[in-house]
Amino acid sequence: MDQPYEKQNPAFYAVIALLVFMSVGPVLLMFVNSFKLDVDIISGASGLFFLPTIQNYETALCDVLPYEPDHIDFCSLKFGGALINSLIIALISTVLTLVIGCMGAYALVRFRFMGRDTVSLTTLMVRMVPPAVLLVPVFGLWNNEFCLDRDGLIGGTIRETFGGRGDVCLAGTHTGIIVIYVAMNLPFVIWILQSFIVQVPRSLEEAARVDGAGPFQVFFLVVLPLIKPGLAAAAIFTFRIAWNEYLLASALSDRNTKTVPILIVNNMSEFNVEWGVIMATGMLLAIPPIIFTLFASRQIITGMTAGAVKG
Amino acid sequence: MLNMLKKTAQAGIATALLAGTALANPYAEYEGTTLIVNFPAHPHYDAVMQILPEFTKETGIEVEVDQLPYLKMRERQTLELAQDEGEYDLIAYVVFSKADYVYADQLENLAKYFMNPKLSDPNYDADDLIDGYVYNIGFAGGGKGYLEGKTGSLFGIPYGSETSILGYRTDIFEKHGLEVPETYEEMLEIACKIPELEPGMGGVASRAASGHHASHAFLLHLAPMGGRVFDDNWNPIVNNAAGVEAANALKTIVDCGPEGATNFGFGEALGSFLNGDTAMFLDTTVVAGQINDPSKSQVVGKVDWALHPMGVRRGSQTGGFGIGIPANAENKEAAFLLMQWLTSKEGDKLVALAGGNPSRFSTHADADVNAKFPHMATFGEALKHADPDWRPIIPVWGKINADLGTTLSKVLTEDLDIQEALDGVAERTKAVMEEAGYYTWN
Amino acid sequence: MVDMALSSAAERAAKRRKAQRLNRLTPYMFMAPAAVIMAIALLYPLAYMIWGSFRAWDPSQTIGEAEFVGLKNYVTLWDDPNFRESLSVTLRFAFFVVTFELVIGVGLALLLDRNIRGMSMLRTLFILPMMIAPVVVGLMWRYMYHPTVGTFNRTLEGLGLPTVDWLGQHALMSVIIADIWQWTPFIFILSLAALQSLPRSALEAAKIDGATTWQQIWYIKLPLMMPVLIVTGLLRLIDAFKVLEVILVMTEGGPGLSTEILALRISRTATEFRELGVAAAMSNYLLLLLLALTLGMFAFTRWQEVRAAKVRISAEEDT
Repeated sequence: MDQPYEKQNPAFYAVIALLVFMSVGPVLLMFVNSFKLDVDIISGASGLFFLPTIQNYETALCDVLPYEPDHIDFCSLKFGGALINSLIIALISTVLTLVIGCMGAYALVRFRFMGRDTVSLTTLMVRMVPPAVLLVPVFGLWNNEFCLDRDGLIGGTIRETFGGRGDVCLAGTHTGIIVIYVAMNLPFVIWILQSFIVQVPRSLEEAARVDGAGPFQVFFLVVLPLIKPGLAAAAIFTFRIAWNEYLLASALSDRNTKTVPILIVNNMSEFNVEWGVIMATGMLLAIPPIIFTLFASRQIITGMTAGAVKG
Repeated sequence: MLNMLKKTAQAGIATALLAGTALANPYAEYEGTTLIVNFPAHPHYDAVMQILPEFTKETGIEVEVDQLPYLKMRERQTLELAQDEGEYDLIAYVVFSKADYVYADQLENLAKYFMNPKLSDPNYDADDLIDGYVYNIGFAGGGKGYLEGKTGSLFGIPYGSETSILGYRTDIFEKHGLEVPETYEEMLEIACKIPELEPGMGGVASRAASGHHASHAFLLHLAPMGGRVFDDNWNPIVNNAAGVEAANALKTIVDCGPEGATNFGFGEALGSFLNGDTAMFLDTTVVAGQINDPSKSQVVGKVDWALHPMGVRRGSQTGGFGIGIPANAENKEAAFLLMQWLTSKEGDKLVALAGGNPSRFSTHADADVNAKFPHMATFGEALKHADPDWRPIIPVWGKINADLGTTLSKVLTEDLDIQEALDGVAERTKAVMEEAGYYTWN
Repeated sequence: MVDMALSSAAERAAKRRKAQRLNRLTPYMFMAPAAVIMAIALLYPLAYMIWGSFRAWDPSQTIGEAEFVGLKNYVTLWDDPNFRESLSVTLRFAFFVVTFELVIGVGLALLLDRNIRGMSMLRTLFILPMMIAPVVVGLMWRYMYHPTVGTFNRTLEGLGLPTVDWLGQHALMSVIIADIWQWTPFIFILSLAALQSLPRSALEAAKIDGATTWQQIWYIKLPLMMPVLIVTGLLRLIDAFKVLEVILVMTEGGPGLSTEILALRISRTATEFRELGVAAAMSNYLLLLLLALTLGMFAFTRWQEVRAAKVRISAEEDT
């Protein structure tokens, strides 16, 4: 890359400008519209001449604002709560997936053990399972089978401490959604981290082992720091899925555990297509991925090429 | 000195009054209870949200609302009601859920609450509730299982009841000297004339999107055309002449409708009317509040209302929501109190003034309400022609509805032959009914 | 002295034995958490679904209460014209999406494989669409496609052109366009990476021999990129079957069934029609389809490895 930059003809730059416009345009459009009143959006005059307003954001976030915005009669959206749910679920599931995933990947790369091929093959195969396929079984299991009897010891304690009604089931809890996200992301994370772990020189690990480090110490103190780029890439992709996923979350969440995508889909309800508020909620959901893209695009690209996957 | 005496006396009287009401307060026992209720995201319930604080102030019962789009709401309820103990104390349900819930024994029979002297308000005046809605929404076990009849009883109370009505643009009609249509023929003729008179404008805004929307729009025309989905022996007759005529009407309306009408859900249809892109709107009465809201509407003050046009008979839809108490609820009695408060004369009037759809005769005739919403009189008139049997409310309806809606959408977008399409629906419906056991006694 | 040496030797032996046992257990300890989670939340559900697909199963029942109906769900589906249409929509969607994305993505990569200033910035902007939630992508496009207020029809009107009924008559096309917008960058980035790792020597040689740009692309670059392209294409193909949210938000499968892909139909069958058994059977059909594709991919990579090995061996024999 030390060669001098080539000079290109102007048509080439025009093409590039067009491409950039095409890929960023829709996002910009959403951004601009999120600051418009519905009347402005509908009445056209799509130009940039309008009075920007944060009213849409106020409507969306009315449940976490310290004051009550004047333009709404009551707070219907409760977007702030969903944002918090989304954060909890996405962050915890990302951390868990990474820890569990890189341990698994390490085992697959560095050890020969019985069942290794089976595990490796299964991991690869389940990567193709679409979330829609998991909908029916997960819905059934999480609601009916993975439950603790409310009269039982643990179930009873949970009910007493946290309140709520009926048997204690995975459905409707943050845990329930996190578990399925971890499981969904694991195959991909294991796959992508394998290619990074292979590159860690064995000699380093052996040196540590000679110094008396146990296998877990070797893993956490020697291997992990060396695969940081891989971890970053895997973390972004995992977070992205957990943050953006709609279908399974909508089947598993109750009124207290709704995530942002659910709220957005619900808010596209038929009686009021309030484009301004919809765009504002969309923007809020899109901000974390946009930030990642701008600041960690190199890791994302490394991850993509290493795993050649979207997950 | 005199002054002070007066004050003390006043204070004394006030305390005495307070103590008195506290003693007689039927809500006292439930003060501090928090009710969890499940309401749809719907203009009527948006109005309800505004009056709920009033209830809490009056009774000390807190209300926490889970508002969902109504199809989502139904999914959620399916799950919630099937549990041994449910989260919701009070639910609003779509008319066609009535059959499912009552059949699965998931709604409380209201008799025991109205019998309970501690709960039942003597001034409730149930006779004031609009009959058609009570039978349509709250009643189960009568004729055909879902209509009025001696074997039936009450499981819910209509709240947010709607009927269909024709909204039209007074300015456009005046400009071109058009008469407000009385019959379907007139309406269809005007609908197709509009795009010629006003380039870029559609005739009637109607929903037509695949699934529930298309089916709903079709049924809206079916009853006035004299059609039904089933005959008295549950044989599907949706493909008879009336059915074909209704589908033709729908197709004409969509063809002469605004741009992109084939994919309109309710929101888009309403949006196009609010935006001034269509001259007429034939759908539910819930929209009235939004038409005159300048932040949403471009046609403020330019819309008037007329009865749903006649085919061979009058037959506007009956629909909307009812509220009922789930059998697995925790605070059933407090929930009943909320339900009674909301549907009482006072509650009904409050919600009507907040922009909701009243369910009582007295509210439609109320002077305050009429002063604020002049269209209320027309709406009251429309209710007299509401047809409680315009759509069957049976447990398998969801499946038939989906099939009907998808097939009609194909008629609208892929030019499937109407007779052929409806024959297909009838045949598949027959199979569904057969499997559900409707022909056991034939 | 001897005693001590003996005892320490014994100790060491014991330690070694212990370490060996630990060694043998280590991989399992590393693997266990992942294995347990995947077993509970992926494999068991899949088995549960296969079991459930033989039942007439309603969401208000537990699976035990549901009646066993054998293969009925599968047979009903096979004869159901709606299912077949949905299957055909899915296949058409996947085919067009992958084809267009491959052509456009590779084309762009070939075009932009130059040493220019700001390339990394460019790549950053291109991956933006991929990172944004499908739900948000759906709503952005639904807005842009809106018949009257949408960007496209406004622009067309502004130019005096007839407007297009995007999500009505041309719904499938519109949905495909949105997916192309979101996922072409994926192919672009991967093929660009592949291009830049091509052996320079081959290209230099071709240049010296006077090959035109087209000849270079056609005879050298594309054949050399082919393995990467095929894997990428297959990955996109599998992903195309996972698409759901974008379409759900944009069209909800309509009008008619024109955009109702299988994933969407499964979710509607389960939640709207309340037939979990049928939805499970449908999921199994989809899984079988994907299984075939994945196996195809495996077979291909294996075949490629074998071929590469053969080439290497013959090359070694030549020297």
